[in-house]
Amino acid sequence: MNRKILAAGSIAAVAALALAGCSGGTDAAESADPDAPITLTLSGWSIDTTPEFQTLADAFTAGHPNVTIELKEYDPAEYNTLVTADLAAGSGPDIITQKEVKYVTTFQEGGQLLDVSDVKLPDGIGGADSYKVDGVSYAVPYRQDSWVLYYDKALFDAAGVAYPDGSWTWDDYADAAEALTTDAVKGDYLHRWQSTVQGFANAQTGTDILKGDFSNLKDYYDNTLALQDAGYQVDFNTSTANQLTYQGEFGTQKAAMLLMGTWYTATLIAQQASGEANDFEWGIAPAPQLDAKTAGTDNTPVTFGDPTGFGINANIDSAKVDAAKQFLEFAASEDAAQALAEIGITPALTSDAVADAYFAVEGAPSDDLSKFAWSTHKVLPENPTSSKTATIQGILGDLHTAVMSGSTPIDDAIKTAEDRVKNEVG
Amino acid sequence: MTTTEAPPSGTALRPPKPTRRRSALRRRNALIGWSFILPNFIGFGFLTLLPVLILFYMAFTNWNVFGKADWVGLANFQRLLGDGSFRIAFLNTLYYSVMHIPLTIVVSLGLALLLNNKLRGVAFFRTAAFFPYITSIVAIAVVWNLLFSPDYGPVNEILRAIGISSPPGWLTSSEWAMPAVVIVSTWRDMGYYMILFLAGLQTVPRELHEAARVDGASVWQRFVNVTLPCLRPTMFFVTVMLTINSFKIFDLILVMTDGGPGQSTLVLSQFIYKKGFEESQFGYASAAAVALFFLCILVTIGQFLWNKKRSA
Repeated sequence: MNRKILAAGSIAAVAALALAGCSGGTDAAESADPDAPITLTLSGWSIDTTPEFQTLADAFTAGHPNVTIELKEYDPAEYNTLVTADLAAGSGPDIITQKEVKYVTTFQEGGQLLDVSDVKLPDGIGGADSYKVDGVSYAVPYRQDSWVLYYDKALFDAAGVAYPDGSWTWDDYADAAEALTTDAVKGDYLHRWQSTVQGFANAQTGTDILKGDFSNLKDYYDNTLALQDAGYQVDFNTSTANQLTYQGEFGTQKAAMLLMGTWYTATLIAQQASGEANDFEWGIAPAPQLDAKTAGTDNTPVTFGDPTGFGINANIDSAKVDAAKQFLEFAASEDAAQALAEIGITPALTSDAVADAYFAVEGAPSDDLSKFAWSTHKVLPENPTSSKTATIQGILGDLHTAVMSGSTPIDDAIKTAEDRVKNEVG
Repeated sequence: MTTTEAPPSGTALRPPKPTRRRSALRRRNALIGWSFILPNFIGFGFLTLLPVLILFYMAFTNWNVFGKADWVGLANFQRLLGDGSFRIAFLNTLYYSVMHIPLTIVVSLGLALLLNNKLRGVAFFRTAAFFPYITSIVAIAVVWNLLFSPDYGPVNEILRAIGISSPPGWLTSSEWAMPAVVIVSTWRDMGYYMILFLAGLQTVPRELHEAARVDGASVWQRFVNVTLPCLRPTMFFVTVMLTINSFKIFDLILVMTDGGPGQSTLVLSQFIYKKGFEESQFGYASAAAVALFFLCILVTIGQFLWNKKRSA
């Protein structure tokens, strides 16, 4: 008798939970008073070392004194999983920071993001397309990093190699790496992420990874494996075994060149100030190009990068929607861009004034090429906005580890990846 | 093993108690029993049993963590059958288990036999053998990554020193990554199973060993004919636990290789995790979890039946 009751009870509980669905709703509060005090919660990560959230919150509340913005901190490595859990439980933040573009469709298809197509965006802002699904905008970009070439001027001088002049192709990059390598210093450091090779390969050849054709990767992997085999670049396996950090390798001058996103500027400046990194002169140059067509300072170099943006929780109190949309509009505006540039963040909206603010930070490079590399480029998104992106990037990640570790030749790995996309994504 | 004898039928041991007091006593005993089990069972029920039951339901839906879960019937399972990555994960899991289970049994049994003596310092060695089991998995992964480093790591240095000119690439090679993981996993688990075997060895009656020695049996013959048969219950328990844990292996592979290089160390649990948490396909991941569940349970049932036949 007891067992039957227990069994019936658990089946009933399962049925009830399964039918109840997941997202909790909040009651709509009636409020017509625009000056009523409003509190918005905003999701962020590493609040101590990532000042951008607090900066934007403070700048917005300065102009809107009735609004308070509370930051909700999440672990950066598990950000998407944790925000998903909160949203599914109905306790998600009002303003959801979109940390990675490849999760935007998960939130959007799950009905978690409000339609924000009516938020006015300034002309020329980068990255807005990454948040559009079927023509509807679900988030607003406030930050747009891109990948550039960091180079150590002191090590270039010591080796007698000319600084990059903005016209480099990948062959020029390889030649410089060879000339810069000494017993103590490697020509360049390539971090372990798949972005370091695939980002350039896809952006510079104009390849859409959703199509499932990865033949463009071959040349790029051949080039980087050649650098690795010749010893101009730390081996992928050594980098993995010793868990090397790109900040350490470039900052302590173990490598003369580093391909990295523009977010590294703020970190390097801070680390040089604190002594964690060596004190040396450095600059940024446009990333090496596929060929001369896009190279040079009178052309627009092609690189890649994804925006970071804010979306609004679809279950937000209807009284808060206006304030939330105003925050989004502010975050994309020139004022916010200036505030972000002053703390070393690359905003989605760049202009001369914003560039001046960015390079006015003490410790930032002051040469013209750095300013050019930062502000003039064609940035293609690394992650197309689609529900297939996460799976395809997983497959490409496996390709990256297989090829860079030397355990699979590039042709076989490309074939495996293409077959897997057909089999697993369709 | 002792057997209980049934009392001869028809013997009245004492006059029967009145019915009401007997059922009251039985109810009281049941209540006491429940109050001991309930705290743990409530936790288990809500945090494990209920999610597992929901998982069986989710396997037939296409839930993507938000919104409603639409019923799709057997579509997830059909997709699993055709999924190349699932096949790779399944085979890798079997490959890992087939290597890990015998190796761990041999190593931990060997350790237990060695440390079953009353030597000086045996307590220290037993503790030392148990240390890897309680060490942080991340620390283990970092240290073994360094040890297995193909060019600079001590393991390959030793191999080169004893004359192997091209030692394996270990975690950087798709052939040797799984053996490397098995080695680390055995090193980690041997302490735990050694303790179980030690406990089992204590039940081997010394008189049997003496008798065998007097009969002129060698050490190996004594091991095979006295120790092993007495250890059968322990061996059965260790094998079942080891099998289930091997099928479910997740954390060590995640921190050591993350399924790489390529997919050479991708196992079922990791496949489930990737599909669920990285690609938000929770319905599909649930179907894979159900597949893993049936794998574990069928093999365990097989082991129980085998053991029943052996001990009959």
